[in-house]
Amino acid sequence: STGRSAQPPAEKPGERRGAEMKKLYGLGASKIQAMETTMQLNFDRNCDKKQPKYWPIIPLKL
Amino acid sequence: MTEWQRKTPLEWLTYVNKEIEVLAAEKQNYKGWVLTVDPVSANILLANPLENGKVSVSGILGHAVQEVKILSEASDAMKEKLAHLFMPGESQTYSQ
Amino acid sequence: RFQALGPASLSSESTADLEQEQQSRVTLRERYLRSLSAMAGRPVRFTMYERVKVTALFGASDIDILNFQVSELQTPLGIQREALLRCSDIIAYSFEL
Repeated sequence: STGRSAQPPAEKPGERRGAEMKKLYGLGASKIQAMETTMQLNFDRNCDKKQPKYWPIIPLKL
Repeated sequence: MTEWQRKTPLEWLTYVNKEIEVLAAEKQNYKGWVLTVDPVSANILLANPLENGKVSVSGILGHAVQEVKILSEASDAMKEKLAHLFMPGESQTYSQ
Repeated sequence: RFQALGPASLSSESTADLEQEQQSRVTLRERYLRSLSAMAGRPVRFTMYERVKVTALFGASDIDILNFQVSELQTPLGIQREALLRCSDIIAYSFEL
């Protein structure tokens, strides 16, 4: 059902995630989201800088 | 999805501060005090105090958990230690 | 009144139950995220499928806990300076605090 419409999506990914976080975490949503954002930025930055490769190359468990 | 992964946060919370034994994939066995269960991955985090005052922390991946058995409930002193293990601004040494 | 939310991941029906479930999720998740920050820079032992055991310095995890970024991975065939481990390959990990 994706890609058929020329209309812009009703929800932006960020908004969608915000609403989902609110449903899952209620009053604590912004705290958890802030912690997760920091963690993901850290992960992305490390991957950009260090360019790690998957080990092992082929998954052990398929 | 395994039975463990399908549990609700309230159900996982009942394991916190309990000493449990986990049977995981490939017959791996783990024992320790439950610090938390990640509600996203169902990973179980266990603490085991060591002789040298440090704490060994183990994570068992949610997808690999096969059986969980509760052995005992933590004392108040142990609960206090478990609660403060990862909190910021607190001493992370585990005094005996 | 929560039928508009309706995801399978929320099992609660009343407001009080929903709030209790959300609060549990916050407590559990916060502790887990803090443990990942505490693990950064420390040597971690990984028990993987097929009896593979490796050690590495933990770097970071993505928020979905699907990949662990590590350094100085000691594999049976030598050291890989920078690596990504798939969490689906891992049975358990441990480190000291």
